[in-house]
Amino acid sequence: MGTAVTHAPAMEDLTEDSEPRHGPVNSAGSAALKRRGRRENLAGYLFMSPWIAGFLLLTAGPMAASLYFAFTDYNLFDAPRWIGLDNFSEMFADPRWRHSVRVTLWYVVVGTPIKLILALGVALLLAQKRRGQAFYRAAFYAPSLIGASVSIAIVWKAIFSDDAAVDRAQRFLGFDAGGWAGDPDMIIYSLVALTVWQFGAPMVIFLAGLKQVPRELYEAADVDGAGKLRQFWNITLPMISPVLFFNVLLETIHSFQIFSSAYIVGGGAGGNACGPADGSMVYTCYLYVQGFENSRMGLASAMAWMLLIAVALVTAVLFWSQKRWVHYEEDAR
Amino acid sequence: MQQGRNVERRTVLKAAGASLAVAGLGATATACGGGSGSGDGTVTIRYAWWGAQDRAERINRTIALFEKKFPKIKVKTDFQPYLDFWKKFNTQASGGNPPDVFQNAIGFLRKYDAKNVLLDLGEQVKAGNLSMEGFRAGLEKFGEIDGKLLGVPVGSNSMALVIDKPVYTRAGVKPEMGWTWDDFDEAMKKIRDRTGRAGDSGMYGVMYLYDLYLRQNGKAFFTEKGLGFTEADLTDWWTKAEKGVRAGLYADARKVAQIKPKSALSAELAGSEFTWDNFTVRYTSEGKSEYGLAPIPTTDGKKTGQYLGSLMLSASRRTQHPEEVAQFIDFMVHDPEVAKIMGYDRGVPATQAQYDAYRPTDPVNQAIAAYEESLVEAGVLETITPHPAGADICEAAFLRIAEELALGKRSVDDAVKQFFTESKTALGS
Repeated sequence: MGTAVTHAPAMEDLTEDSEPRHGPVNSAGSAALKRRGRRENLAGYLFMSPWIAGFLLLTAGPMAASLYFAFTDYNLFDAPRWIGLDNFSEMFADPRWRHSVRVTLWYVVVGTPIKLILALGVALLLAQKRRGQAFYRAAFYAPSLIGASVSIAIVWKAIFSDDAAVDRAQRFLGFDAGGWAGDPDMIIYSLVALTVWQFGAPMVIFLAGLKQVPRELYEAADVDGAGKLRQFWNITLPMISPVLFFNVLLETIHSFQIFSSAYIVGGGAGGNACGPADGSMVYTCYLYVQGFENSRMGLASAMAWMLLIAVALVTAVLFWSQKRWVHYEEDAR
Repeated sequence: MQQGRNVERRTVLKAAGASLAVAGLGATATACGGGSGSGDGTVTIRYAWWGAQDRAERINRTIALFEKKFPKIKVKTDFQPYLDFWKKFNTQASGGNPPDVFQNAIGFLRKYDAKNVLLDLGEQVKAGNLSMEGFRAGLEKFGEIDGKLLGVPVGSNSMALVIDKPVYTRAGVKPEMGWTWDDFDEAMKKIRDRTGRAGDSGMYGVMYLYDLYLRQNGKAFFTEKGLGFTEADLTDWWTKAEKGVRAGLYADARKVAQIKPKSALSAELAGSEFTWDNFTVRYTSEGKSEYGLAPIPTTDGKKTGQYLGSLMLSASRRTQHPEEVAQFIDFMVHDPEVAKIMGYDRGVPATQAQYDAYRPTDPVNQAIAAYEESLVEAGVLETITPHPAGADICEAAFLRIAEELALGKRSVDDAVKQFFTESKTALGS
């Protein structure tokens, strides 16, 4: 409908003005169309209004405010005091901040690839027709529905504590390393395990991608005598590369934002640490500590913007790299 | 057809308008939430505290009593665990919407006074809505900062060594008033050797205990403006800690980290723990063993450096009902029935009237009373030293960095440096 209005030539406007009511049928029709178009736009905006209001009040407004706070010393109580780039220089000089960056990067770099490889592997298995296929898909997908919840994080901590499931399994296999939840160096891997366990979401996207690959390509490859591995490498992977790119992008950004599971598994109960010796002090947790426990909202805002910039840079690099390895169908033809 | 579609459009527009109206209504509804007065003269005040479910049930019963006696005042309640409480309070207070009356402690008085959050209750005392008469042991002075009455004590407590009684008996250790740090070290060894359990849960990270140790040596953790000890002092304290952790005298920090928020004592990882004496109430409900109180070790055989700590009730400066808030606090600290309900949950009652009204019958509360009385008899109690703004952040950093030391993630020198750096930022010096 909207397009009909925009395509109406300017001349018709004149006709409408001179003969508003009694003009030719088609001209009156176009005026009515136009009115209807406007009303439809209005209705559209009215329907969107709760969302627009929410976006302006709850997202855009606070973001603008936090951009301002990032350059101020703001403790929530006194008026923000402009300090220029001091927050950023303090941040870079703070060993705890650097530690949180290291922990987060490690989590992203280790967790994301494992999760995606597992998701793709299982998707390949489930793409073939077999009995109970729907059940398996649902079963593998389920963890990603509940994985972000607080209760799962609490259970996770219990599983990785001393004398719990993981510790016992380790001892059964012959090494006594203790539970991961109390180990400053291992606790981050329990979080990696938690994110890997939620591979169901990217798996479903991979499954959708695999369905799009034309079967005749495999048939042709079979005729040419290509093995399964070769087929995967030369047909499947290039054909699903847009889906792979989408998953890499989504999971990377998602990983950078890890908060609640780290906060809960780290059990910030004593002091303002997160995990033993800050073992699970990921970036957002430290941001939270600075903002809400130490009441340093200016510094916390600066940290938030730093994270945004970092994620934007990583995203930009991924987009730049896709030219080299992502094949869209248009290119193929 | 055309007609029908127009009607549809109209309905659509109406529906869209309605959804906007609903969103708008939602906004006004939240905006109205702040009001607390109503037509018939009934006033609602908001009361928030930190604590567990057990404390909440007791407090709710005292509020029911209060509302019966003051039918024109309604009390809305809110509670969280300690750390969450302050996060929520910070957010509310900075948004200009703090609870009218709330639980407070000495370490926060200066901090929130500097931020103009606390009401000077002195005015209400003059107006006769709040009595500061009848407090025990000079407690009426506890909430006074620079001549302003910022908090009214509800109870007093003091640091103690909370012990797992059967473990101490099995190890053959009997702590007595005036025992020294050497005796204490010896006791830790005996417990480790004879019961196979660490003697202590992690005394090296307890700011209030280190404060006592410093006071025994003529110093203190805080001065008016900053830290009251040197890097060399802390190096000594944490060097001893590191040795103790390695020797198994103190609980394995890795295990302690996993059982949080449960305490290492009630989780049977250690035979004792330095903390506030009223914590035995909590540990008894948390753990399976029997818990008792032992005196703080001394340097010279006499001085423990102890002082009374206190939980208080404070009012916010923003309250629209200072009179009702003062009446509420007055009721909570003086009414004998309140004492019978609360017991020693927030320490030994602050006023003589409440102290007399509640005579404990169970062994846990009896032990607390006996312990507090023994301190008075021994004459070891001194006056409290100030807690500057930022003291709470220093306390958290002290605990966290000590834990990192115990986990082997920091050397002693590194830990000391880190603590001094962080506390300088927190104390703004």
